[in-house]
Amino acid sequence: MHESVLAASSFSVQLNLLSPLINGIANGAAYGLLGLGLVLLYKSNRIFNFAQGEFATIGAIATYVFYAGTGVLPKLPFFLAALIGLIASVGVAVLTERLVIRPMFDRAKVILVVGTVGVALLLIGVEGLLPYPKTQALPSISDVFRVRPFVTRIDQVPVLDQDVAMVLMLAVLAVGAFVFFRYTRTGTAILAVSQDATAARVVGISVERISMISWAIAGLLGGVAGILLAVPPAGSVTPGAFTGTTLTVAFAAAVLGGMTSLPGAFVGGILLGLIEAFANSDASFVPLLSRVQNGQAELAVFLVLLVVLMFRPRGLLGQEA
Amino acid sequence: MSVSTPPVAATLGLRDQARSQRRVGVRVVAALPLVALVLLLPAHNGYASISAYAAIFVMVGLSMNVLTGYTGQISLGHQAFVGLGALTTANLINTGTTAADPFMFAVGMVMSAAASGAAALLLGAVALRIRGLYLALVTLVFGSVFADAIFTLPSLNGEDAGVKAYRPTFISSDYRFYLFALAMVAVCFYVDICVRRTKIGRGLVALRDNELVASAFGVNVLGYKLLGFTISGAIAGLAGGVFAFWTQQFSDKDFTAAAGFNMALTFVVMVVVGGLANRVGVMAAAVFFALVSPISPLMAAIAQHTGWLNFYTDHKFYISNLIGAVLLLQTVILNPGGLGQVLRPFARWFAGHPFSLHDPDGGSGVGAMEGSSVRA
Repeated sequence: MHESVLAASSFSVQLNLLSPLINGIANGAAYGLLGLGLVLLYKSNRIFNFAQGEFATIGAIATYVFYAGTGVLPKLPFFLAALIGLIASVGVAVLTERLVIRPMFDRAKVILVVGTVGVALLLIGVEGLLPYPKTQALPSISDVFRVRPFVTRIDQVPVLDQDVAMVLMLAVLAVGAFVFFRYTRTGTAILAVSQDATAARVVGISVERISMISWAIAGLLGGVAGILLAVPPAGSVTPGAFTGTTLTVAFAAAVLGGMTSLPGAFVGGILLGLIEAFANSDASFVPLLSRVQNGQAELAVFLVLLVVLMFRPRGLLGQEA
Repeated sequence: MSVSTPPVAATLGLRDQARSQRRVGVRVVAALPLVALVLLLPAHNGYASISAYAAIFVMVGLSMNVLTGYTGQISLGHQAFVGLGALTTANLINTGTTAADPFMFAVGMVMSAAASGAAALLLGAVALRIRGLYLALVTLVFGSVFADAIFTLPSLNGEDAGVKAYRPTFISSDYRFYLFALAMVAVCFYVDICVRRTKIGRGLVALRDNELVASAFGVNVLGYKLLGFTISGAIAGLAGGVFAFWTQQFSDKDFTAAAGFNMALTFVVMVVVGGLANRVGVMAAAVFFALVSPISPLMAAIAQHTGWLNFYTDHKFYISNLIGAVLLLQTVILNPGGLGQVLRPFARWFAGHPFSLHDPDGGSGVGAMEGSSVRA
């Protein structure tokens, strides 16, 4: 799919391809950020975590209520509020592990996945009942630093510095997580547990502790994603903001990049963002896509997912281990 | 869960069974209130509509029961099949402002099942080659794509205004429509029983429990999975056909975006809370989730009596989410047999067995999804 997109971009610039290119990378960074947490939990527990989107939302909501000083809460500086948001995300993730995942440790993976769906639904319900302004959004990076909103314009197309920050953060987190798994004792212990829990126990690794650590990291990644994504124009702190739409594509992105590869989440996220943006903009060069009025982007995502799963189930960068 | 049966207990059981078979009358009398509840309560004007909605949920529940309970696969995109059924019926009949012609109505119902069955067959032919958990992802994306790309086509959704599907005159009242929906439930129920009791069902369950062993015994793996997927899709399509005439129109907004996603999750919650591979439990859970759904007058009435009406109207979507989530988590963590496990002694008693909390084949469905075929 993406080859055809690149081919088209090289021969016809008058199609206005720059704008989808920039939008695509920005959206792709969002998918990648959510995808990182999905990959991490797949790597460590072999499950799909449908609650990842809500870990992000919880982080964003906690950040918002302390930043804006909702109700009786104090009005805090942004970074302090963001810290509380991250703590909230990690807390929810750890609670999920302790209350839902651990009692079902030896059950089939499908049941665990259904459990995470339950957690997602529960969190959406709880968020919905909390009294806070649900349509608001977090401040963007440029608001936080009080600088002019656009970093730069390329050929009249503005590049939001929020998007630049997202791509940078995604790259840093992907590399950081990669290094964590490759070079630290805890990281390798997580991998050992995912490959064979009993053998890991034999060599003295606490499986319970490792499971909690990996969920905590997933919560942290979710919180970072939420705080960066819940900004205008597209994002908000609405309950379930990321679960209905973004999470689905983030899953596809993680599969495309390789469900077991953290840099894969980065690559897959950006690629899928680009595919979506091009499918949505000038889809005329793909005959099938131009026939549908809505949902070209979703259709492209579905086709990519099917093709990847049929012909290269381990994704672009994934490994079998 | 299975109770060991030494000879003495076995003879006792036989004697019990002989005695209880003489008491058919007791069971008939005990069943009367239930039948009365199902047939007469919806005759009250305010309840007919929500009862028909519950009947539609029961049909979807049976469809999920075939898929998740018997084949052990999980579908997070079942709203697409329901929606396709509704779309097919509505567009085929396209009543405009007049009542539907009874013959075309029947054709529409059959076609709704056929269209969704065909869609499930096509999706399954591609997706069932994908192993394990990834299938759940594919169905998730399929559900949102299918709804967003196909249902929103202006030629199929009545240029965004919705395609009208007025009921034929003989079932135009809400109560008569409810009785019609009940008849459709009976059809789906019969299909479910047939699937479970014939060679097909035994093949599916064998596959679910251990794919390798089943294929060694000559069960055609892909063929049977495809059959299960298709039957499930067809039942969901029929439910969609009934749904179109329940709302009296097809509108893509019922199935796209957040509404569709919520619907798909509700279906999954329903089948898990009801108890895997337990049709009585799943049907009971389906009725329950229809009654606590945001459109339910029952919930609004409860909220009004307790003085929470304003809070309820502002938060009803979140409240039904929360109820579903709590029940789902409670079921998967503490009570894997689901509602069906609780109801099974009563269901068995009604079926002519002696009443016993120790159920000889109870918990047979607990292993659904625990089978090796769905381990990632």
